[in-house]
Amino acid sequence: MKKLLLIALCALLLSWRPPISVKKLSKAKKGLDLVSSATHKISEEEEYYIGRAVAANILSQYPLWKNAGFTRYLNLVGRALVLRSGRPEIFGGYHFALLDTTEANAFSAPGGIILLTRGIVDMAGDEDELAAILAHEIQHIVSKDPLKAIKSQRMKALGTFTAGEAMGSSNQVVGILQDSVMDISGTLLQKGYSRTQEKNADLGALELLAATGYDPGALLAMLQKVKAVEKKKAKAFSAHPAADKRIAYVSSGVKAEQAQSGRQARAARFRKYARR
Amino acid sequence: MKTKAWFLLFLAAAALLLAGKGLVVQVLRSNLLAKPDFLSASLLAVQKGTKLELIETQGNWYLVRGAGGQKGYIHQTAVAESKVSLGTMVPGKKGASEDELALAAKGFNEGNEKKLRGGKGYNFADLEWIMEQNAALAALAPFVRDGRLK
Repeated sequence: MKKLLLIALCALLLSWRPPISVKKLSKAKKGLDLVSSATHKISEEEEYYIGRAVAANILSQYPLWKNAGFTRYLNLVGRALVLRSGRPEIFGGYHFALLDTTEANAFSAPGGIILLTRGIVDMAGDEDELAAILAHEIQHIVSKDPLKAIKSQRMKALGTFTAGEAMGSSNQVVGILQDSVMDISGTLLQKGYSRTQEKNADLGALELLAATGYDPGALLAMLQKVKAVEKKKAKAFSAHPAADKRIAYVSSGVKAEQAQSGRQARAARFRKYARR
Repeated sequence: MKTKAWFLLFLAAAALLLAGKGLVVQVLRSNLLAKPDFLSASLLAVQKGTKLELIETQGNWYLVRGAGGQKGYIHQTAVAESKVSLGTMVPGKKGASEDELALAAKGFNEGNEKKLRGGKGYNFADLEWIMEQNAALAALAPFVRDGRLK
């Protein structure tokens, strides 16, 4: 019984807190105010919902190519890459799809929704070149580049809301969501990422291709094709830096990465799916 | 009576300290795998909020135990550390646990998306088609093998 009382006393001592003074309460309130006015940090789940809205916005501007066979193949190539990336597990999983337009482009919405146009897929000569485009876009997701396109004032505004307000779906929060979507869509479709972000995505793509077993030289080949299209002044990768500049640093990166085997076998299945 | 409650709380706290580290699944869907490799067999499908007990760490992988005793590997990016708040265990105290709060999407969530649906400038119908077209994990292993990938 004495032992029991001793344990209970220990529990009480551990749980005891001195009474909080008014002064301390005031300090605590100030701390709470600081927390509530801090910039809002986007969680993985929020990234997913922002990404869905961005993708839905892009889909309102480009028709979706509902080719189930090729889309499944695209998802297999994409997922093979994702598993070797720095962010293999993401809230809603990665999803890859095709846009029915001759314009050559690729977009990565937050949360792992990656959209490729028919134009860019037509430019790819084989699976390794298709993987090179996807690897570049996956690297943007790994670095959370699309989220960085959101103007800081949006997150500051969201940070001023109380937890209850922010967790609800008030018109103010919806307004901030819409503005954030427009920030990201504007960057993806027109403004483009910074040169540093693009360079990091290219160099990261080289490593990812090598880690997955694809030929890193495929990225260089794709950029050379883009350069040729740019010369004709066609609309290709309009929101990306000029291919010339990218070719320079990708060339030196390719030398560092080893060429992989099995490219012929992968090219054969690419032709099979591309014909569908 | 109150002393008894505090004693139980003390025992619970001691049990928590002795037990393995708690983890909680933070992605919508994942799997407990036979090996620390995405291409190994799936032993158990787990969903967001599933609680797991950490047994050991192997690189970027955790060997965990599920509630049913099932052991398996899960990648670190799929889980978060489960912070059990002693505050929620205090007799008579109500409210969401830290896990629940951490997993709730503040700011941008499903409710906000519903307000965008049907609005001009958003095509959620085609987005749903995309979300349905997913390559199963089981299909990935032969795809990687046949393409001589890693």
